[in-house]
This record gives sequence, C-alpha cells and structure tokens, in this order.
Amino acid sequence: MTALRDVIWIAGFETSRALRTWRALSLVAVYCVGTGGSTWLFIQFIGLLERELATTLGVAQTDVPGAMLGQLVESDLWRRILTGMVGSEDRGDLLVAIPILAIFHRWVGFLLVPLFAATASAECLAIDVASRAIRYEALRTGRTPIVLGRWAGQLLLSAVASLAGAAITAGLGLWAMVGNDPVPLALALLDATARAWLFAVPASAFGVLASSLVKSAAWARVLALGGVVGSWVAFGACQLASARGAPWQAAVADAMVSVLPQAWLGGLWEPRGVIAPLALVLLGGAITSFAAIRFATRDL
Amino acid sequence: MRVALRFEAVTRRFGRRTALDGLDFRAPTGTIVGLVGPNGAGKTTAFSLVGGFLRPHAGRVEILGGEGFDPWRLKGRLGVLPQDAELPDRHPVGALLVHLARLQGLASPFRAADAALEQVRLTDRRREPVGSLSHGMRRRVAVATALLGSPELILLDEPMSGLDPMQAASLRDVLAGLRGQTTLVVSSHDLHEVERLSDWVVMIALGRCVREGTLVEITGRAEVAHWHLSAPVDPADLERLLGAGATRVKGEEIELRAGTEAALDAASVTLMGWLASRDIAVRGIRRGAGLERRFLEAATG
Repeated sequence: MTALRDVIWIAGFETSRALRTWRALSLVAVYCVGTGGSTWLFIQFIGLLERELATTLGVAQTDVPGAMLGQLVESDLWRRILTGMVGSEDRGDLLVAIPILAIFHRWVGFLLVPLFAATASAECLAIDVASRAIRYEALRTGRTPIVLGRWAGQLLLSAVASLAGAAITAGLGLWAMVGNDPVPLALALLDATARAWLFAVPASAFGVLASSLVKSAAWARVLALGGVVGSWVAFGACQLASARGAPWQAAVADAMVSVLPQAWLGGLWEPRGVIAPLALVLLGGAITSFAAIRFATRDL
Repeated sequence: MRVALRFEAVTRRFGRRTALDGLDFRAPTGTIVGLVGPNGAGKTTAFSLVGGFLRPHAGRVEILGGEGFDPWRLKGRLGVLPQDAELPDRHPVGALLVHLARLQGLASPFRAADAALEQVRLTDRRREPVGSLSHGMRRRVAVATALLGSPELILLDEPMSGLDPMQAASLRDVLAGLRGQTTLVVSSHDLHEVERLSDWVVMIALGRCVREGTLVEITGRAEVAHWHLSAPVDPADLERLLGAGATRVKGEEIELRAGTEAALDAASVTLMGWLASRDIAVRGIRRGAGLERRFLEAATG
C-alpha cells in the first residue's frame, strides 16, 4: 500500500516536473505541430479528392474541403484509401461510419505518439541519475516505485500531449473544413487519442528501459527512438519471413511478432475488443519490469 | 554504548580504485559525530553506502539496528544530505519538500516542509523555484531535505560547503541545537568546523578509520591546556607553584598538564591567581591539542 502511494506521488511529481521543463514542453509542441501540420495537409488532400470526385460526377467543385464528405465516404476511392491506411478491407468497412478526421488522427497517432512517448520517457531516470538528483527520492522509497512512478508520470504526459494534439485536430477540422459535427468529431477524436495512447504504452516503457540503462539522457533518447523505429523494422521483417520464409523461419517470425507492439495494432482498429489494449499494457509492464530490475542494481 | 550507525570491515571499490578498505567505525546514538579526512578519504562513499546509493563489496553497514539500507524499514528515520546531488530545480522549494515529506510517509507533509524551511531560515523562499536560488540557498534547501521530519539519524556531507560565514554560523547553530535529539554525522575536511560541533570524532584516511573516540579523548582536552601570556614567566616559579612536570614553558607560552579534567581545572585556577598577582595578562587559552594536529599524527602513523 505504501509502495502504491509512493508510485502515485512520484507519478504526479514527474508529470508536473516534465511540464515545467522546456525539453518536455518542446516535445509536446513538436508533437502538436506534427499533428496539426499533417492534419492540415490531410484536409487539403480531402479537398483535392473532393474536386476530383466532383469532376467525375460532373457537379460543381467547392473551395472549402468537406462539402462533399458524404459522397466521398461512399466512394470506392475513399474505400481504397481507407483500406490502404488500415491494412485490411474488412477493417476499412468497419471505419466508414467514423468521421474522416478521427480516422486520420488515429493513424497519425499510431505513428507519432510512440515516438513522442519514447523520447520523453528516455529522460525520466537518466537525467536525474547523471545529476544525482535521484538520490533525494531513492533515500525515501524503493527503487521499483521510482521506476513505476516515473513511467506512470510519462504516460500521463503522453496523454496530455495526445489530448493537445486532438484539440488541434478538432480545431482545424472545424475551422478549415465544413461538414464536421463538433460533438461526434470530439468523441471520435477522444476515442482515437485513447487508442494511440494505448499503442504508445510499450514505447514509453522502452524509453524508461533506455533511461535505466545509460547515464546520458541523449544516449537514452537515441536508444529509445532506435527501439521504436527498430520495432517497425522487426515487424516488417517478421511479416516478410512469415509470408515468404522457410517453415522454420515463419514459425520463429510468428512467435517473435507477438512481443512487438505492431502485432496488436490491428486490434486497435477494431471498434471493440480488449485483447489488444490488454496485450499492449502487459507488454509495457514487461518492458518496465526489465527497467526496474536494472535500476534496482544500479549505482546512483 | 548504543550506536545508531556501525561500519564493520566495509570495502567498496570503483574499478581498480579502492575507496573504502575495510572501514570500521561507530556513531553513538544521540551524539554529533564528525567524520573527518582529506579529499578522497572515502567520506562521501561511506555516506553513499548508508543512503543506499551504492552497495558495499564486502563488510557490513548497520543502520539504526538493522543490516544495510532498507528504504521501507528506514522510511522517515534517516536523513542524508548528499554532497554533489543537484536538487530538481524547476519546482518551488516548498513543493519539493512536500513531495519528499510525502515519500518519507510523514503525517503532515506541509507542516514538516515549513518546519524544515524554518530551520534553515528560508521560509520566505517557499514559493520560489529551486533553480532561481543562489548556490548557498540551494545548499540550505538540500540541508532542509535532510532535516525534514526530524529523522533519528542524519548524515550531512560537507554541509557548510558553499555557505558564506553568516550562513555557516547560522547552520552550525541549527546543527548544535540537534544535539541529544538525534544522531548527526557530519563529514568535513574542515577540522576546525568539526572541532566546534562534534562530540565524537572518526578520522579516516585512504578508506580506513585511523582513529575514533570522543573529542575530549582525541584532543586531550581533559589533560592539557596551552596558555598564551602577555609576558614570559620563570619555569622554576611554576614548578614551585604547581609541582614538577606539570608545566612546560617556552617564552610567553605555557603548556599545563594534569592527569584528570578536575586536576587540570584546579591547576588552572591556581595559575590564574598567580598570574593576576604578578600583573601578567592571559591572552588566550586552548584546551587540548588541535584536531588538525591529532589527525596528522594519526594519518601519518
């Protein structure tokens, strides 16, 4: 009970500390600019598609994106784009009812939130071990609560950044597009934010692991980002081996892929289902356990 | 003798360098212990072992009756001021202390934070970010973290480092006020500072304890006094007054010796009267040998 209470105190302190530092705030700003910029480009792309659709249908073109959303969503062109985004036709069909911007926000979130989470989390231990500031907490509580508390703090920070990104997307959607109902859009963006955040849980844990391994925050960031990018490369390699490799290679690839967050990404596109979120949280927990074991034996 | 802290044959290495080489010492409960030694003697490493920041490679460290550092057993009972640890600098001073007080499991973290700030006279800086304070003030905040919640055992590694003379004097008063309430271990290479503050002294050099004991024992304060006079005196007169071998005279300097503290006090009273009757002023009296001299004797064998 005491340990759990310490985890909560440390998580709160970690989040407020991160929000007071320029590094974390710059990361939130970079994430928001990335989300906002890509959303703006996507809105322009929607406008382009609508103009093309208007030409095909022989109707008048509109200047503001979103005026032909109804027709666009029902078109084969959109269905093909959706299938490309989510990697499966069946999944694409399930998403037709969701506001276009929310689908895009989910997609961008799956790409960007893990990068943000890993980079921010990479600082959570290394920087204080280097300055020895960690000693003030290490004297007063166990090392595992420190690791868990700081991870939880970083997850909170990722949630804050994700929500800020969602707010920017909503703002752009209502300002630069027509045809978006505010309430359904806001709810769909919240849903997309939660899914992107869940996908970032293992990446954040990987950042904490990197932070527990090295003393320099810069190296921890490199390791963490390398880990996130590497997991995509590993996922691609596993899929290739599974599809085209020898039987033994396929078997190894199938076994390995389940410990990669990307293996559970499909589940996050499904409207419901708890397996993928649960697996991602467990994966994050397992990675953080390694961080806790390493941190417990480390000189401070 | 009850001890709050005991090192038994503790060894700690960093690569090929041996920082502690079978260190043995005790810190009696309720005393102010001065841990002295030159730079690199192993004082900071010893403190880091007590705080659990490092682990010993051999030997045992007994802290408040238990083996080694255990954060759960020692929660709120141990305060440590690490020497080189920077404070998290973005938070207001008060918020940082409240956070640490919560982790110590204190029932009233806000009250404890206020009390610690009061002790280091920084109450008016409660709302300021740590990073905006001067070096000396940050040092005082760090001292406040160690005093937080009045732990049973407090270790302060070079607490006066970076403080101006007024701040150092004020902190010395605070620490002296803790005598008898807690066990305080203060490390310093400033031997005068330790001499002014400590009841018990531990001298370490090259990772080993070279001598430990009460300040009175180590400096010989109970047996020797050095008098500095305004005029020279005749040794034969003093021999007649105090007996053979009780004094050694060198110009205006007299070394007065006695077997016990009471005998030394009695001889001092006699000598004072005799000097007054001859209009010789006493310009200074120092009891015992300086800690610096004792340390040099012990460290060089």
